[in-house]
Amino acid sequence: MAAERFNQISPSEFFYRNRDLAGFSNPTRSLYTAVREFVENSLDACDQRGILPSVRLVIRAEDPEARDPRTYVLTVHDNGPGVAVEHVPLAFGTVLYGSKFGLKQARGMFGLGATMAILYGQITTNKPVHVSSSTDGKTKDTFEILLDIQKNKPVILKHATSKARQRGLSVSITLEGDYSKAGSKIRDYVYQTSLITPYATISFEDPKGETFRYDRILKSMPPPPTVINPHPHGVDVETIRRMILESRRDLVSTGNGAADRLVRALGLKNGDAGYDVVARRVAQRWKRLSPAARLPAALATALKCSPRDLPEMTIHDIDVADDTITYHDGIAGAAKTAQLDRRQPYYSYLEEVAAGEPLQSFLTARFQRVGPRTAERFAKFAAFKPERRIGTLDNRELVRLSDSLQAYGEFLSPDPSCLAPLGQEPLRRGMAKFFEPDFLSVVMRSASAYSGFPFVVEMGIAYGGGIQTRGIKAYRFANRIPLLYDEGSDVVLKVINDMDWNRYKVKGEAPLVIATHICSTRIPYKTVGKENVADRPEIERELRLGLQFLARKLSSYMSRRGKAEAAKKRANLYAKYIPLVSQFCTELAGRKAEPKYAAMLKLEGRDG
Amino acid sequence: MAKKAKSRASKTQKDVLDLLRKHGSRIYDDLDHGRFPNFEIPSRSVGNIVYDTKLRQYVLGKSAALRSSKNTSQLRSFTQLMWLAFFANRLTQEKKSSTLRDVYYSSQAFAIDFDDQSESDNIIVDLEAVLAKPREAMHIFPEERSSVFGDLDIEYTVPGYEGKRMNLSNHPDGYAIGPSLTSAELVGTSAELVIAVEKGGLFTRFVEEQVDKKFKSIIVDTGGQAPRSTRTLLKRLHDELSLPVIILTDGDVYGEHIAMVIKSGSANAAHLRELTVPDAKWVGVWASDIERYDLPTIPMTDSDIKRCHDLQKDPRYSHGIWKKELEVFLKIKRKAELEAFSKYGLTNITDRYLPQKIELARSL
Repeated sequence: MAAERFNQISPSEFFYRNRDLAGFSNPTRSLYTAVREFVENSLDACDQRGILPSVRLVIRAEDPEARDPRTYVLTVHDNGPGVAVEHVPLAFGTVLYGSKFGLKQARGMFGLGATMAILYGQITTNKPVHVSSSTDGKTKDTFEILLDIQKNKPVILKHATSKARQRGLSVSITLEGDYSKAGSKIRDYVYQTSLITPYATISFEDPKGETFRYDRILKSMPPPPTVINPHPHGVDVETIRRMILESRRDLVSTGNGAADRLVRALGLKNGDAGYDVVARRVAQRWKRLSPAARLPAALATALKCSPRDLPEMTIHDIDVADDTITYHDGIAGAAKTAQLDRRQPYYSYLEEVAAGEPLQSFLTARFQRVGPRTAERFAKFAAFKPERRIGTLDNRELVRLSDSLQAYGEFLSPDPSCLAPLGQEPLRRGMAKFFEPDFLSVVMRSASAYSGFPFVVEMGIAYGGGIQTRGIKAYRFANRIPLLYDEGSDVVLKVINDMDWNRYKVKGEAPLVIATHICSTRIPYKTVGKENVADRPEIERELRLGLQFLARKLSSYMSRRGKAEAAKKRANLYAKYIPLVSQFCTELAGRKAEPKYAAMLKLEGRDG
Repeated sequence: MAKKAKSRASKTQKDVLDLLRKHGSRIYDDLDHGRFPNFEIPSRSVGNIVYDTKLRQYVLGKSAALRSSKNTSQLRSFTQLMWLAFFANRLTQEKKSSTLRDVYYSSQAFAIDFDDQSESDNIIVDLEAVLAKPREAMHIFPEERSSVFGDLDIEYTVPGYEGKRMNLSNHPDGYAIGPSLTSAELVGTSAELVIAVEKGGLFTRFVEEQVDKKFKSIIVDTGGQAPRSTRTLLKRLHDELSLPVIILTDGDVYGEHIAMVIKSGSANAAHLRELTVPDAKWVGVWASDIERYDLPTIPMTDSDIKRCHDLQKDPRYSHGIWKKELEVFLKIKRKAELEAFSKYGLTNITDRYLPQKIELARSL
């Protein structure tokens, strides 16, 4: 019997094996997903820097004579901030490298999807990704990069620097796709993205040589969201564990100048500040050292390094039970573990540091909507002492803390400042331009929350005019992304279908468009494909209330319109028949001149 | 000896024209004052049809519907009604006759659209109800024709024949009862009796056997259920020439009802008062005649029996011979046609049966 082998796999390899999950299951879906990932990355990058986005999407067939599925070159140009030259290889040549770690609303997370698209292109065509980036608008760096899947490392094939005409990023991949099948979805996607991003100019040049261009309708952008701490309801045990680690790391990070202060405090000159000298002096003068100098002193001694090297060292963890300290040595470029010496004076100091912050200040500083008094009341609720050091919690206590954070009902609802709804006016302008309806109304609900995640629902309803569809057409958006697939199982469709439209004077196949936009730090998608939103009761409620509000507006419009139409119809009927009646009765009565009925018709036509 | 008749036809015509002018002027005034005109139309729904025992016919009750030109769902039919009045006015003034079908097509020349003929027929009935005059008075006639024969002098009033006289015994096939005959003046007759028979075959036999001479009678063929022009003629013969009317029908429940409609009208024409001959007498064939004359019979069908039960609910069948004969039909469940007398020879009916029945009618 052969021994089983367990291999660690790299994230690239994991995604390579599970690409279906990320929307790269077949040439049709993959082409569409790749378009989405790149366009969304561009829009996100512009949003974050407050740049009015101009995005140009180009898809060309490598061989125009070939039949689908065939090889396409997909290129996205933007006018965003670009990517700094030193980050380009990692950003486009590794999986799980990205800049979106904060807790705020964004279209995508971590930039993962774009690297997935690059990975997909590479495995279907074995062609590198072309990246051209300019952060200053003067010079640009052009790369050709392949991804080493097993090592999760970039392989730079070419790198050149040249003059740039404008700032921005341009990414181009070669991939297998099926435009004949994906085309309508991609066009819908571009169209709907333009609708929900009315401050962007988006153009799309398709493989047949057709150009779809949507110019920006607004010259101003909605205010960007702020990055905020998580809400107590929105964290799980693993998140708390990471937050504790992070808090400890903050405690042991040494700022600029700490090394110099230590060297002075030890009475040394810069030139003598080697480890041996420092260790000796620290042992002698520990008690006289100021609190600010004690941290660099303790760390330099424990890691056996010069204070000058401390900024290169990143402490991962101090394990008091094992007497070890783990850290990343930036000079050697490797993770290391050092043994702590219990006899040294720094030991009890580090032990104290490792115990971490008191629970009360941990909660106050690292969560939103928690003040000292709330933290104290919560501690009582969870049966912890407020001064309990969080580094000393064992696993069972961590679980209890996590459960209590979920169960405690007195926290204020989540802070919506991390959300970036489009706003009523931009939504109205966008819908007005796109649909040219006879009637339009928009509403933005006030912020609400589900499971600790804040969300805002905004929506608009448009009727008649340029809308040619028969029946209700729903445009669904989440965090400014159009949702095109899996309409049937979406919460928005459920809410729309549950409405008794007859009550709102909407009859038969009315030409009606409903656009809904759900903004949240975490949209509860039903699937990884991010195409339909799950029916959380809180979200469903907000959608329903918003839609009812709009439907009432529509209803009063419809009755005004109905009355006007009926009046017009009536006036037409009178104009058709009354002259006949007049003609007949004149002869019957044996009169010559017809009766004076004209004023009567005018009056009726106006009254209705 | 000839009786002199009054000029009834021209009076009817003047009545109609006066009524039409009256309504026309009312509507003209409304329009001239900026008011939407309307018509009050007696309701012809079942609930509003009642039997008037004094008039001895069905009449409409008091409920009426307002048809307003202001109401857009009624405006079209209001205009149709208005047009029909206008059209009838022209017909009557110009003494032209037309049929129900003519009316339907004529409307199209005036941009008055009727969906089909039944819609225009309905409007005609509406106008009859508004004016309480039969459509024949407005020169609109049905298609079906029945016949008359006998010593009756008439004087035409239709254009081209005004003043021309005719004796209705000159042609042995009889004379069709059409617009010109209906609107003619009844000048005089030597007859003392009108005999209405249900069937054309019997009518011919009666002419051949000279029933008109033998019994001093005018013979009228109703052709089944008597058309309204025939009923109008019967009424005029009775009212203007003071002739008694007797009716001979098949010996079945339908025959009994043919006689009843001539006598007291139909529910369909409850809005009209000039179509009935309340003094007309049904003399046969009765159910009781079937046994008395030992006539060959046919069994009654289920629908015959159902019809008997339906008629029993009608107040006119709640007494006298009408009630009694229905009961006999239901008892024997058999029926006999007029032709059944031919079992005893072709002239049996005129030689034996008819004299007995005429004798009987005098005593009724």
